[in-house]
Amino acid sequence: MKTIYLKTKFFIALSLVVFYMNSCDSFVEVDLPKSQLTSTSVFEDYATATAALTDIYSKIRDKGILTGSNTGISNQLGNYTDEIVCYGTPTNPSLPFYNNQLLATTPTITEYWNSTYNQIYAANSIIEGVTANTKLSAENINQLEGEALFIRALLHFYLTNLFGEIPYIKQTDYKKNSVALRMSSEEFYQNIMQDLEKAIELLPDNYSSTERIRPNRLVAKTLLARVYLYRKLYAQAANEASSILNQTTLFNLEANTNNVFLIGSKETIWQLKSAAAGRNTLEATVFIFKSGPPPLVALSNTLVNTFSTQDQRRTNWIKNVTTGTTTWYHAFKYKEQNPTAKSLEYSIVFRLAEQYLIRAEARAHLGDLIGAKEDLNKIRNRAGLSNTDAQTQDEILKAVLQERRWEFFTEHGHRFFDLKRLNQIDQSLSAVKIGWNTTDILLPVPQSELSANPNLLPQNQGY
Amino acid sequence: MNNFSFSMGGRALYCLIFLGFLLSFSPMLAKNHSKHSNLFFQQHKVQGTITDGINPLPGVTIAIKNKKNNAVISDYSGQFVISSSPYDTLVVSYIGFKTTQVPIQGRSVISIILSEDTTTLQEVRVNAGYYTVKESERTGSIARITSKDIETQPVTNVLATMQGRMAGVSVTQTTGVPGGGFEIKIRGQNSLRPDANQPLYIIDGVPYASDPIGYNQTSSTYPSVTSPLNSINPDSIESLEILKDADATSIYGSRGANGVVLITTKKGKSGKTTFNLTASTGAGTVTKFMKLMNTEQYLAMRKQAYVNDGLTEYNSWDYDINGTWDQNRYTDWQEELIGGTSQINDLQGTVSGGSESTQFLLSGSYHTETTVFPGDFLYKKGGSQLSINHHSLDNKFKFNFSAGYNLQDNDQPAFDFTYDARSLPPNAPALYDANGNLNWENGTWDNPLRNLNAKFESKTKDLVVNAVLSYEIIPNLILKGNFGYTDLSTKESRTAPSTVFNPAYNISSANSSIFLNDTDRSSWIIEPQISWNKNIGDGKLDVLLGSTFQSQTTSRLYQSGKGFSSNSLIYNLGAANIVTVLLNDETQYKYQAFFGRVNYNWKQKYILNVTARRDGSSRFGSGNQFANFGAIGAAWLFSNESFLKNNSWLSFGKIRASYGTTGNDQIGDYQFLNTYSITGVSYNGIIGLQPSRLYNADFGWETNKKLEAAIELGFLQDRIFTTLALYQNRSSNQLVGIPLPGTTGFTSLQSNLDATVQNTGLELTLRTLNFSTKNFSWTTNFNLTFSKNKLLDFPGLESSTYSQKYRIGQPLNIDLLYKYKGINSTTGVYEFEDLNNDGRISFPEDRQLTADLNPKYYGGFQNQLGFKNWKLDFLFQFVNQKNRTYGMGFSGQMSNENSRAVNSWQQTGDTGPYQTYTTGENSVAVTAYNLHSESDASVVDASYVRLKNIALSYDLPLRLKETNCKLMLQAQNLLTFTNYKDGDPEFTISGYLPPLKVITAGVQLTF
Repeated sequence: MKTIYLKTKFFIALSLVVFYMNSCDSFVEVDLPKSQLTSTSVFEDYATATAALTDIYSKIRDKGILTGSNTGISNQLGNYTDEIVCYGTPTNPSLPFYNNQLLATTPTITEYWNSTYNQIYAANSIIEGVTANTKLSAENINQLEGEALFIRALLHFYLTNLFGEIPYIKQTDYKKNSVALRMSSEEFYQNIMQDLEKAIELLPDNYSSTERIRPNRLVAKTLLARVYLYRKLYAQAANEASSILNQTTLFNLEANTNNVFLIGSKETIWQLKSAAAGRNTLEATVFIFKSGPPPLVALSNTLVNTFSTQDQRRTNWIKNVTTGTTTWYHAFKYKEQNPTAKSLEYSIVFRLAEQYLIRAEARAHLGDLIGAKEDLNKIRNRAGLSNTDAQTQDEILKAVLQERRWEFFTEHGHRFFDLKRLNQIDQSLSAVKIGWNTTDILLPVPQSELSANPNLLPQNQGY
Repeated sequence: MNNFSFSMGGRALYCLIFLGFLLSFSPMLAKNHSKHSNLFFQQHKVQGTITDGINPLPGVTIAIKNKKNNAVISDYSGQFVISSSPYDTLVVSYIGFKTTQVPIQGRSVISIILSEDTTTLQEVRVNAGYYTVKESERTGSIARITSKDIETQPVTNVLATMQGRMAGVSVTQTTGVPGGGFEIKIRGQNSLRPDANQPLYIIDGVPYASDPIGYNQTSSTYPSVTSPLNSINPDSIESLEILKDADATSIYGSRGANGVVLITTKKGKSGKTTFNLTASTGAGTVTKFMKLMNTEQYLAMRKQAYVNDGLTEYNSWDYDINGTWDQNRYTDWQEELIGGTSQINDLQGTVSGGSESTQFLLSGSYHTETTVFPGDFLYKKGGSQLSINHHSLDNKFKFNFSAGYNLQDNDQPAFDFTYDARSLPPNAPALYDANGNLNWENGTWDNPLRNLNAKFESKTKDLVVNAVLSYEIIPNLILKGNFGYTDLSTKESRTAPSTVFNPAYNISSANSSIFLNDTDRSSWIIEPQISWNKNIGDGKLDVLLGSTFQSQTTSRLYQSGKGFSSNSLIYNLGAANIVTVLLNDETQYKYQAFFGRVNYNWKQKYILNVTARRDGSSRFGSGNQFANFGAIGAAWLFSNESFLKNNSWLSFGKIRASYGTTGNDQIGDYQFLNTYSITGVSYNGIIGLQPSRLYNADFGWETNKKLEAAIELGFLQDRIFTTLALYQNRSSNQLVGIPLPGTTGFTSLQSNLDATVQNTGLELTLRTLNFSTKNFSWTTNFNLTFSKNKLLDFPGLESSTYSQKYRIGQPLNIDLLYKYKGINSTTGVYEFEDLNNDGRISFPEDRQLTADLNPKYYGGFQNQLGFKNWKLDFLFQFVNQKNRTYGMGFSGQMSNENSRAVNSWQQTGDTGPYQTYTTGENSVAVTAYNLHSESDASVVDASYVRLKNIALSYDLPLRLKETNCKLMLQAQNLLTFTNYKDGDPEFTISGYLPPLKVITAGVQLTF
């Protein structure tokens, strides 16, 4: 009996030891992984907050709508309109764009949507993070918040021009964002303008570096000028454009068209720095080829044939490639396909030429035909062309559109957006694009998005 | 090519292991110190060894026929000495083996081989993890296979060994690439998160993390990345137990929801030092090809597509039909690209033995496998296993040590050629030009062999060490400590040299790139335990208390290098123009628990088993870190009741039932923190920081309630033994990455979802001993599982982000589909039911049909036949399931098609069954094709019956003492019977290399 008692006592004592060892709850506390920082601490230090902001530029450069890779709109909308012809294998992601046969499940479409809203989330996270923190200086907060607001406006601007009436996301709260509603164009553009106006208020005039790779007040105004033009607010558009064009110490048209896309170009308003020293643009790797048939894409003959032979842009921005008896053409704005000892070209988002053509178009609408021609001729003369012979308002507007086509081919979908906003897209494209439908002016909202947020139903027309 | 030679590719390390193994043969010279000198006693003394044919058997009773009180027991080396007269007969009996009578016939040394008696397997002790339990007395559901089943299979992955052999365990091979993955589901899918349905793996008491160690940029074992489970060497496994119900798994608490896989490695046995060498060589080929169009059919299709689209001129890039490519050329691309033969070589060696108190086992293995792809690629695997057991003379102190070290070296092409093999036009150009260089046919095609220049290399080292020390402090009170350590390191690289690009791109080595993955994972575990047992009344009480401390650290370094002055420098990151660190991370996982078990067994009739566990895990935010789990199990052995005792036909009868809870914490680490992570991408010299995820700290455990009832019956001395089990598992508080709309900035959020998933099923096993005579034996095993998965409850499903993924009352693994109507006989295009009558096919309204892609039932049918020295073992595996057809793209484009697509619509009135060809111009047809691939027409019967394994062996009648030589012929996936037309029916995602059919021949030498 005694042994049993002893055993039991012993057993209980041991159990207590085991229990005791178990009582230290702190055992399951772990250190932060070395690759992560808490959100609060990111915004307590200007360096880490800047890293969070500039990462968005990396993302814009590498992913989504504005990337220079073959899935970005510079290539894809060129295929979608009349600038580019698609070659290569059936797996070439440009093929559904070239055939105007996009589906709600086309991967590039989902990529545009998801990665752009992810970039918008990052911008909203910056805006919320810097305004909540107490350790950054007012100057630093203004810089970060101003850039983030600009990014938010920029990305939403492209989204609405591609997808139509969609949600404008201004917070990080996923509970609200996951049930977001479509917003009317009117209200959507109000938001873009508000964000840009606040960015203009917060941002400094100076570039924070010589390479013009981070937006300042002027960059925000550049976008605002375009927004006014798209909204047909011509007086404001002309005004904003003038405020840029008047910055003659900063900006000038490069006399030689070969220099327009170089890093030091005086014409550049904002460009995206490449990922590493020596690297050049993604655009060059997509467009340039050395022998035919083209592995991915080539410029369409339709486009190439519209240039006059004296046009310097035909000479310097387009290259002929001949194999056997066939000649193909590729965009040659960016010339460096391979890394160089020192980077020579960055992907340009805004350049001065656009401001001249914005003001020309706005002035023409406002009845200032002389001023309009003056601006238009600046661009023509730089390209080696004589003054325009357009006289009437209609002729001038037509000439401006034609000039935009020559000036901005394969640059971020200008052609598509211009034809669309001017209601000329059906007449221009249905003749040259067999697959073109009226409803192709909008891309489909991704299928995954409609499944996840039924508030966005119905699907855009035609899909 | 002979890969058998070490010089071919055997790394020095493997050789060392083997050298170590060979050196361990030295005790052979020492001979056995058996007692040979007792011949001149007055009475005849007989001494001998008892084995099961391979290993010595300790504890065997040796008696003399018709004489009482003179029985002896064999010692730990299976040896015995007994006094008798020279003309007596020995009666040798041992639990689990057939009692044998051996006439002495004047001999003084006798070797006796006992053969196993299948009818007494009820006496076997089954590993239940923290404790063992006699098969007949277990209250939980535990399935088991042993080395006998594993050794007949020429496979390298431990999951492969289970296919078709265990009820309730569904294993699917996802790719045939060596070192590739398997998917396992024990009693169905419990979690909405597809990657959170992994069971808990435990090797000799040490948890073995099965989370992938690969990186998607450095993997060629698509669709899954490298899994650590490949490191385990099936041949080192003695037994493999799967814990299924609450009674068995609740003691594993938060990690038991998806079942527990217990792996016990081989241990040494006392007695003569035994050597065992096995060598085998064989060949593997793809099980099944698709039937594709030949050139004539293909070109006819392409031309018809142009006619259908009203196009009169071929595009300049339509090289296949515009005259650029030879119109008469035909290549069977499947034969060319995935039709090779994989050469398989395998070498295993074991030495084991020991004294009564200390035993050891040392084994080594080396395995090589080439691929069915073109090119020289090799998978190598080698390893060593050491086990030492010791107990003190008074049997109070026990010590077990086991260590396994395995190495893998896998070279593969960086891409799976299966897609190319199925899609390349049959008249595509030759792979090589006249000079033996890759033929680019003037840049008109992407030669598939360009991808041979892109290589995947993976090197994995894996160490698992375990030590168990126990001491009986006072009688029946045992203090035990389980200590474990694992260390796994993997290095992977995947290259993309400029030579993978069409030269027309003019891409130089300045654009060559390499991705590197360096992942290390180490963990330690300490589990102090006390166990105590005591007889109370007519029953026996067993109590176990224990506690777990576990810590695991995973460090990952993902890098890429781009731009090299020459492709020959591609493996030298220092030579890269741009080196990017994509991820440099170290994560910690800490886990702590307290567990206990109380078992009361009354007269071996009524058994009650209660288990519980309190768990804490670092994967949850504060306040959510701890949770309790528990289960109760009971069994009634009604055959032990007096009214059934000695019943002539019913030899065993048991009813058991259990109910309890388990949990699931497979959500990855640090998910509850609001953090920014380093992106590794720089802008203006600043390395970026990005928001890691949407922030939600308030999530907790997923709970899984398991209910089971079973009946086990044995008839005619258990010659017929059957188990019928019914189970119901319900998982709630689902922890998932809830898919979110992209407008939230992310596509998912970690959170608990108030949904319940139910798995119910019926499992039947039947074992019959059909024949058991001296020269002929025949055993049959049959297992069958009916399972049903169902989403029971999901408040607000309609408005949730899952609204187009799940349906209440339906399984999780469903596809929502359009309803296919047939072909419009006028336009020749597929048509679908317009369910909402809005005049068009709209999403989601018209995509509402569901198809269950889970197997309806599955199982295996195994026969083991023995005739004199011959043994034949074969297993048929069967699965009844539906699966998706392989999507080839719309017919008529520049891509090959199923040969059945020749039956396409041509003119008004045709009914198909396949729609009109189009080059892509006919957007209605393209859309219809896409809808068709998301319609019920794309889900077909993919059931199959497969001769999973067949093994024939022959014991050479050597007439040598203690030496056996066995010849073996083994085959895996030899025959497949299926109605599925798009290749092999076993896959999770189609389009990857199917499983291989493997045949090997080998020889095993034991001495």
